[in-house]
Amino acid sequence: MAGTALALRRRARSKVMMGLSIASAVLGLVILAIILGTLLYKGVAGLNGAVFTEMTPPPGSQGGLLNAIFGSVVMTAIGIVIGAPISILAGTYLAEYGRYRRLAHVVRFINDILLSAPSIVIGLFIYELLVTTMGHFSGIAGALALSILVIPIVVRTTEDMLRLVPDTLREAAASVGTQRWRMIVSIAYRAARTGITTGVLLAVARISGETAPLLFTALNNQFWSTDLNAPLASLPVIIFQFALSPYEDWQQLAWTGALLITLSVLTLSIFARMLTAKKAK
Amino acid sequence: MNAESPAEAARNTGQKEKISIRNLSFYYDQTKALKDINLPLYERAVTAFIGPSGCGKSTLLRILNRIYELYPKQRAEGEVLMDGENILTSKESADSLRSRVGMVFQKPTPFPMSIYENISFGIKLYERLGKAELDERVESALRRAALWEEVKDKLNTSGQGLSGGQQQRLCIARTVAVRPEVILFDEPCSALDPISTAKIEELIDELKSDYTIAIVTHNMQQAARCTNYAAFMFLGELIEFDTTEKLFTSPSQPKTQEYITGRFG
Amino acid sequence: MSLSGTLTATGETRPRASAKPVGDRVLHALTFASAVLVLIVLGGVFISLIQGSWLALSTFGPSFLSSETWNPASDPPVFGAAAPIYGTLLTSVIALLIAVPIGLGISIFLTELCPAWLARPIAIAIELLAGIPSIIYGIWGLFVLAPILQRSFQPAVIWLFHNKYWDVPGLDKLFAGPPYGIGVFTAALILAIMILPFISSVTRDVFETVPPVLKEAAFGLGCTTWEVIRRVVIPHTRAGVIGAVMLALGRALGETMAVTFVIGNAHKIAASILAPGTTISATIANEFTEATGDLYTSSLIALGLILFIVTFIVLAAARWMLHRMERQGR
Repeated sequence: MAGTALALRRRARSKVMMGLSIASAVLGLVILAIILGTLLYKGVAGLNGAVFTEMTPPPGSQGGLLNAIFGSVVMTAIGIVIGAPISILAGTYLAEYGRYRRLAHVVRFINDILLSAPSIVIGLFIYELLVTTMGHFSGIAGALALSILVIPIVVRTTEDMLRLVPDTLREAAASVGTQRWRMIVSIAYRAARTGITTGVLLAVARISGETAPLLFTALNNQFWSTDLNAPLASLPVIIFQFALSPYEDWQQLAWTGALLITLSVLTLSIFARMLTAKKAK
Repeated sequence: MNAESPAEAARNTGQKEKISIRNLSFYYDQTKALKDINLPLYERAVTAFIGPSGCGKSTLLRILNRIYELYPKQRAEGEVLMDGENILTSKESADSLRSRVGMVFQKPTPFPMSIYENISFGIKLYERLGKAELDERVESALRRAALWEEVKDKLNTSGQGLSGGQQQRLCIARTVAVRPEVILFDEPCSALDPISTAKIEELIDELKSDYTIAIVTHNMQQAARCTNYAAFMFLGELIEFDTTEKLFTSPSQPKTQEYITGRFG
Repeated sequence: MSLSGTLTATGETRPRASAKPVGDRVLHALTFASAVLVLIVLGGVFISLIQGSWLALSTFGPSFLSSETWNPASDPPVFGAAAPIYGTLLTSVIALLIAVPIGLGISIFLTELCPAWLARPIAIAIELLAGIPSIIYGIWGLFVLAPILQRSFQPAVIWLFHNKYWDVPGLDKLFAGPPYGIGVFTAALILAIMILPFISSVTRDVFETVPPVLKEAAFGLGCTTWEVIRRVVIPHTRAGVIGAVMLALGRALGETMAVTFVIGNAHKIAASILAPGTTISATIANEFTEATGDLYTSSLIALGLILFIVTFIVLAAARWMLHRMERQGR
């Protein structure tokens, strides 16, 4: 039976398929390398001090990305400040109070849908809600759109992390008479602390690269502005505008901006991952 | 180690050694899990590997069909001769070996297919048969496993819909369908109820007329009921090998005696 | 024994606390309200989309879905969603066709072939692909991929199906030139790269739920690695794999920035997949801020509504599949 034609053919087929799967993995890695490589190459070319100190220029002149960076940082920060507490509380509800309740099932379902929902639709929502009522675009509208994107991510990770805390720990707390809320705050949160932080960091990474929800909420701003009640620049939207333009110096700034975003997103993701890895030890 | 009475017993019934294990050692990474095992497995007989948890009996069993090769950092040294050829070093591929040495696992593992397909799957790996012949082979395998009467009307339903005992008999049928020479059982009844266990023990007793069988068991009464030879292992070493009757009634090693009488386990 | 308190071991009576301490009630209320807020957000999105698109939907009726005309300049302006809908579906389907085999290949590699020490860094690297913001894919697609496709791949493919020696009927229309570089196919390619890590990591998680003893049983019969995967692992995890694919589809449908850069923004349904087209999200992204007039804006919001409904259905189905897989795995 060892050398029959059938056996040889089976073995050959398995080798071919395994070869293809190795090829897929190699392909994936190669694509990653090419994208990051191009980004690095083109972005670094325009990387200089001016990027961090000067405003976005009109086409044909030199400038930087300061207002865009500022806008991104501010809107991301506000987005997290609004979104994270609500999400952590909601996740706590799902894990601690409503674990098997009907409402919890529905919330979890809706949350999962929102997690992968198109972010441009969220932008439309905030447009209808805030921009039309306020009568103008604003940074705060952009921040709010980002906060909605934060919610499904942090709700999910918070619930997952709280669920990982063993019930024996909760029972031990209850058996000495700890009140429920104190048990959650002092014991469950503490045990799940790293995981919840990771979730928040991942949410930051996600929203700092988002463009679509900002397009018609915060719009864009060529000049320095700290007014949240007016259009506010952001890195992704600037990149969008500059990259699609025919001007070379604008395109260069777009690449540099893209490099900056990618570096911060990847650093955050890797950092978040290291946090969980350290906790697991 | 006491090899004389079994060898005599074997010669008396005309049995030869199907598998000869010589100086076999096994390592999980740096840990030596099996130390210099020497053991015969006689043809058309059932040999039990018994011993307390962690003694290495499953490890030993899993060398015989090289299933340990699926996992890195596990390696075997020594000789395992089947019909004179060392399966550890021969050029024969593992999948080809496994067509000759089948295995039934502790947990019933029906494939996600119909009952018929569970059986025909294995056959089709090795032979090209017409439908009529295939039907016949499936039926005979199921009969061999004492399952035919219970499933003959629902061959197209999922294998995973059977009861635990039936699933395990399905796995046995699947294994014999491939027409191996040796069948290895790794605690086949530990997940089953007593009635299914009894059925399977009966089955093993019948199967030995055609196959060489090795069975790892935790259950000494089971070993006493359906096996011919027994190997008692402790902490990776073979302490004693003898006919089942002799090992259980008058073991020559003190450790064996202690295990049999339940001093530890 | 006194009913107003609990008797302790030493015989004293300890006063019983009130039924629910203040702290508990407060936290419960807060968390409950936050959970409900999630529902309100979704409801709000839906309602505001319907509200915003009402004008367009009532003006055009069901023909909005089938009409290819998109003319903001005419008087009165006429809008039809057929081209964006077609583009959205086409790019996503082609992206799936490309990404699913490769993604499965990667997860098979990671679960079956790759040594453990190498699997983690490779898995992390593939997931880094998922972390790259979509606008980066957009500019990379526009400045790097599109020119390459325009110069080499597309002319080759066009020639393959239509040249002076032969003409493959049907396929020559599907792959007709001119080689713009940008277009439906390029967008699909970029989408494929973007959803690749999703397919790979979700299917990998799903493959790892297969009990090792089941795989051992198949190996024990003498199966080759491919046979174990094809006949045991994949059937066992079928619901999960389908769920992963649908999840990736849901993402692809809604993807905006990567597609906007390379799709070419033409409100046309062309026979060739190499031609420019548009998707719902690309249309909204490109035209929303320039849209003049209520009808124009409302039509764009109507597009958003259609997209939202479609992705909702796909994502709900994906979730259902993945949960069925989880429950079956017991």
